Amino acid sequence: MRFADARPDGRAVVYAHIQADPLVLRAAALLAEASTTQRVLARAVMNGMTTEPGRWRVMFPALFGPAAPLPGDPERDRSEAILAASLEVADRGEQTRSQLRGAIVEALTERLLAARTGPVRRERRILFDGRPAEIHPYDVTAEHDARPEAWDCKWGARGIKADVVHQLDDARRGAADEDLRLLVGLVVFDARRSCEVRLVRERGPVALEGLRLIPLEGLDRLAGRASR
Amino acid sequence: MSTTIAQLIERALEGLAVLDATAEAVDDELQYVSDLGTVWSARLRAVAAARGAGPAPDGAEAAIEALVAEAALVTDPHRAIDWLSTLPQVALAALGEAA
Repeated sequence: MRFADARPDGRAVVYAHIQADPLVLRAAALLAEASTTQRVLARAVMNGMTTEPGRWRVMFPALFGPAAPLPGDPERDRSEAILAASLEVADRGEQTRSQLRGAIVEALTERLLAARTGPVRRERRILFDGRPAEIHPYDVTAEHDARPEAWDCKWGARGIKADVVHQLDDARRGAADEDLRLLVGLVVFDARRSCEVRLVRERGPVALEGLRLIPLEGLDRLAGRASR
Repeated sequence: MSTTIAQLIERALEGLAVLDATAEAVDDELQYVSDLGTVWSARLRAVAAARGAGPAPDGAEAAIEALVAEAALVTDPHRAIDWLSTLPQVALAALGEAA
């Protein structure tokens, strides 16, 4: 088994610009240190209709209400920064915001993984001897010699599709055929409850025991730490 | 008389029902829309069963009202599917509950 760069194509060239957008990098850096409630705020705002920040502050009393940390406190400042960045994403228009959200989840995954293992790479294929090369790359890989990992990243549970589950499982089985253990999984910026009902319908013949699911409320597990 | 948690859960469920009706326009996701409505309604009702008679936490009433109003603005059925998952998470956070 070996990792390889994805074949360059038109989609990759366009998407590279999205991935390099400073807003993506800023949002990912903020969300890497965020609490679960702050991440729920980002999810709601990036997918919301209202661009009036005061409305969102009302919806999250734990972050902005009278009992929340005061302005100047690092937690409160992070909440404000996440709200501002999320509103910028929401303000980009429907197609662009969708691309930005996907890129943010990938960049967030890369950051969290890098806190635990490495080297962490993006858009890489996994090749096996005697098997046809895969066309689609994995979003994020951890290419540690002894404990390699491959992750696919989704903004929402609805993005979990049978072909994605099958591709991850296929890579896991390919590694097992070479007596290697490849950890494969889905990182989804959505609640576990929504992911699980989706996975049950989309898994097909795939045994889910071999597939890790990292939902929004468990993202810090990627970094080897507990969520808060 | 203060607003109870059960009353706020009922408001959240009303918001969820509006989203459900909007999302049903996506024919090939009918099962997923139904599944989301089932599991999240059950989660919200479980909170009502456990803490429903208790007073709503500070700020929760305004939070749920703003949240349901936001959900009512969603007219695109695809976005409504995403919001079927988002609304309960925000409502539960306002009530001091995990998703």
